Amino acid sequence: MTQKSLTQMTRTQKKSTQKKYHYLLAIGFFLAFVVFVALRQTSPFQIGRLDGYVASIFGGFLRTILVSFIALIGSTFTGFLLFLMSKSNNGLFRAFVDVFTEIIYGTPLLVAIIMMAWVVGPAFNTYNRPVLGVIGLIVYITPYMTNIFRSAFKSIPEEQYLAMDVFGFTNVQKYIYIIIPQVLRILMPPLMNNFSLIIKGSALLHVIAYGELFHTVGVMQSRTFGYAEGYITMWALYIIITIPLSQFTRYFERRWSLE
Amino acid sequence: MNITVENVSHTYDVQVLNNLEITLKNYRSIALIGVSGSGKSTLLRMLAGLERPTSGKLTVNNRNVLDKEHRSSIGMVFQTHSLFPHLSLEENITLVLEKTRGIDKETARKTAHKNLERLSLGDQAYKLPKNVSGGQAQRASIARALSVDPDIIFLDEPTASLDPILTDEVLSSVENLRELGKDFVFVTHVLSFVRDFADYVIYMDQGDIVEHGTPDILDEPKTDSFKNFMSKVR
Repeated sequence: MTQKSLTQMTRTQKKSTQKKYHYLLAIGFFLAFVVFVALRQTSPFQIGRLDGYVASIFGGFLRTILVSFIALIGSTFTGFLLFLMSKSNNGLFRAFVDVFTEIIYGTPLLVAIIMMAWVVGPAFNTYNRPVLGVIGLIVYITPYMTNIFRSAFKSIPEEQYLAMDVFGFTNVQKYIYIIIPQVLRILMPPLMNNFSLIIKGSALLHVIAYGELFHTVGVMQSRTFGYAEGYITMWALYIIITIPLSQFTRYFERRWSLE
Repeated sequence: MNITVENVSHTYDVQVLNNLEITLKNYRSIALIGVSGSGKSTLLRMLAGLERPTSGKLTVNNRNVLDKEHRSSIGMVFQTHSLFPHLSLEENITLVLEKTRGIDKETARKTAHKNLERLSLGDQAYKLPKNVSGGQAQRASIARALSVDPDIIFLDEPTASLDPILTDEVLSSVENLRELGKDFVFVTHVLSFVRDFADYVIYMDQGDIVEHGTPDILDEPKTDSFKNFMSKVR
């Protein structure tokens, strides 16, 4: 090995250790900030106030994940359905998708959930608030899902389709061996981003008194007055899912990207 | 190969090809040249059977280009490599052979390696397209077109997305394929390649075949349009 490549290697090594320290420092800063605000509360910060509520908060945490997962699956289906409709030759279908998308883009998630649970549901003699809330969440996320399907399919260039035609692949073969394997990889990162959006958005389900994380923390707070304790715990629990999710998404993109 | 083009027109929003008429007999390597938008790529795609003429008829080796048998007797290379990006170079070939030609796995693998080696890609066979250079990917796409053992290979500006050095690399590997006894129809902007490789040249402008003949016509353009083209493209 030459002298030059040796110095180059130590330089890149040095850079990566430096980078590691920078990140540790940044994380440390934010942790210190949390400790700082916790200690500055008017009533002393006592994490012990959570005693007796750990099980119910953990239950809420699991329900947040469950409900987000259901919304993810549901909106993936409805999003794909709308994508197919937007590709249809029927102009009415396309118009329906466009109008629906504009309406949802203009609607706050909180309003979508409340409308579904208190206005739309009752109009159909349905009063099951948790189910209606999840439907509201699904309806809200659907156009975003439609979008990621649209860009995933668009990212396969026209010449690839021509190549498939020249070789004489049947339509079924095109989808099974060429289109779907590509689309899945392109779809995964934005799909996981949307999952993160759903998890965060599901906090709003507390307005219909569904026992997800936000709601169970609220119950604990109203009985023990441990507001800071409850909110910080809740915040940490959200971050425990969303940050690894986004890190994994980035890893997936690096590892599996096709470009 | 023999080609007939009878009264062929093509219209998208505007007329792209105007009543083309030409008969070619026993040429091995036909070049289509002209500026962008002259209709040369459209004519090439029609000869490959990928696009239907609005009116008229095209035949290649006495077969209508819209016949299924024509489709299975050609290979095609596009402006971009158009390899399937989730498959290695080898799998790009074996997938085609196994699924569309019903060839068994082992034979397909052997054919893939033979053709990749022919284009000096033997050591790249297991790489994904994203991990090879643009020139290597385009050569792999040529190997894929060859592997179905076509009678004719269509090349649609195969070096349009490459820099001059990679262009040279790809075109000289095409020239090396002469010994295989395949016929070629190609669109290109590289006139030195036309001189070296083509035995017939068709110059097109605004949807018309303006001049055609042996590569000698490049040295003595007759029409103003072709003179103008030759003075600008070198």
